[in-house]
Amino acid sequence: MSDAQKPKATPLQVAKAVFWSFFGVRKRAEYEKDAVSLTLLQVVVAGIIGAIVFVLSLVALVRYITS
Amino acid sequence: MEAATHAEAAHGHAHGHDDHAHHPSGLMRWVTTTNHKDIGTLYLLFSLTMFFIGGLLAFGIRAELFQPGLQYWEPEFFNQLTTMHGLIMVFGAIMPAFVGFANWQIPMMIGAPDMAFARMNNWSFWLLPPAAILLVSSFFVPGGAPAGGWTIYAPLSTQMGPGMDLGIFALHIMGASSIMGSINIVTTILNMRAPGMTLMKMPLFVWTWLITAYLLIAVMPVLAGAITMILTDRHFGTNFFNAAGGGDPVMFQHIFWFFGHPEVYIMILPAFGIVSQVIPAFARKPLFGYASMVYATSSIAILSFIVWAHHMFTTGMPAAGQLFFMFATMLIAVPTGVKVFNWIATMWKGSMTFETPMLFACGFLFVFSMGGFTGLVCAITPIDIQIQDTYYVVAHFHYVLVAGSLFAIFSGTYFWLPKWTGHMYSETLGKAHFWLSLVFFNVTFFPMHFLGLAGMPRRIPDYALQFADFNMIASIGALGFGLSQLLFVAAIIKCARGGEKAPAKPWEGADTLEWTLPSPAPYHSFETPPVIK
Repeated sequence: MSDAQKPKATPLQVAKAVFWSFFGVRKRAEYEKDAVSLTLLQVVVAGIIGAIVFVLSLVALVRYITS
Repeated sequence: MEAATHAEAAHGHAHGHDDHAHHPSGLMRWVTTTNHKDIGTLYLLFSLTMFFIGGLLAFGIRAELFQPGLQYWEPEFFNQLTTMHGLIMVFGAIMPAFVGFANWQIPMMIGAPDMAFARMNNWSFWLLPPAAILLVSSFFVPGGAPAGGWTIYAPLSTQMGPGMDLGIFALHIMGASSIMGSINIVTTILNMRAPGMTLMKMPLFVWTWLITAYLLIAVMPVLAGAITMILTDRHFGTNFFNAAGGGDPVMFQHIFWFFGHPEVYIMILPAFGIVSQVIPAFARKPLFGYASMVYATSSIAILSFIVWAHHMFTTGMPAAGQLFFMFATMLIAVPTGVKVFNWIATMWKGSMTFETPMLFACGFLFVFSMGGFTGLVCAITPIDIQIQDTYYVVAHFHYVLVAGSLFAIFSGTYFWLPKWTGHMYSETLGKAHFWLSLVFFNVTFFPMHFLGLAGMPRRIPDYALQFADFNMIASIGALGFGLSQLLFVAAIIKCARGGEKAPAKPWEGADTLEWTLPSPAPYHSFETPPVIK
């Protein structure tokens, strides 16, 4: 795949793709858009950020419950 | 892709030669082979052998537990049986079986001529037999085999005899083999796909293996670190896990389970992949929600790294920790549920037929889902504190590992045997194997839920009288399940030796690239990469 003709994904689009990957569901049209515009690096970085956000929100939730 | 095309051009003159040209024959063919199909066969035969050795140990366990009281074994030897059964089945049977599938299928499914690192492939296989010999021979050293459970918790593992050293060395070698195998798989998938096969056009089995390979690369070094620390604690005066020397045995549990939980997914994701190939083929419909399957697999992989301490609720941790690991664990049910839903939706209104691979895939769905649900039960901290280390947990993980991973391995074997051997397997033998396995599996493991709820601890050779009846049923089931597996061997041997000729595509609904090759698949395939539209 050459990078020249690919539309660049916006950070919001990457975040959305990663959010849905955490849930495990994605609309066909949306994923087809992801498939052409997302790069591996974007997905990996967003995945790591997503995992950190996920862990922190869980931590915040249990802190709230136990406080 | 480009590399493959160049290689093809360079070797163009060699085409048309005999399939086995340039290869030693006889035993040396198997020792020196760099062919992904040969190595795949070696992996599968190795894991079948280990499956029967592990099964023999299980017979030993169930024979002792047939009745209360000590009948056959000393308690020390019983502990060796449970430990070695676990180690052999996890590292010797299930994992190599999936690597065998990967070797055979991934190059054919992505239209590649072979694995990326063919010689390393040979090495990663041939590390396994010495490791297995080390592991099994630990029974014969003073003090016997490792007996601290497959989790080799410190301080049990730091105090045991030389058998533990053999076990540690065997695990190191198997881990190295797994890492090399994974690097090979990742490189093959990322670099050697046929032109036009984008990532999102890959068969799901290839996807699940890609993600599994990353998991393996991430966690096998963690296991290696943990067992190296045990080794240095044992022999070189360190105190990583020795409380008397300022160490902490609980730290071992954390490190082990940081490896151990992703390991659980390493053993189930390729199974998901196989089932995702088999169900569409026999429902004659494309897989429902392909993209969401890929997304769900990655989600499961990511979540698998943040749930490890659910194995340690009774070890002691703050309430906030318990809640965190409970919530994170329960959330894994979401992507897993998405998968189960997708498989069922694939079957919905499909023109289904139930040949043996499909039977095993349906059996997988039915029984694996039960194992998944009991997993959720175990994830609830207050319940887990009651049932931890009881037979409920034994029932749970056998539902996911036997009915999950093993049934998927059976399903995949029957599915691809025609491609591997060029002959159709005996449907009668296959169906008998399935029904006997399904029935005896449940006879063996379903009563264990009741035993666990009633409080029977695991890893004990003797038990209180009130547990006698269910244990007797479980032991009868285990005998039946073990003997049923001889049908599997019979079916494979019969199929390998002859029988009805298999067409290139014996399954009408199968649509991946390997079915475009003749059966049996030629020794060298896709030297000219196919073009995917």
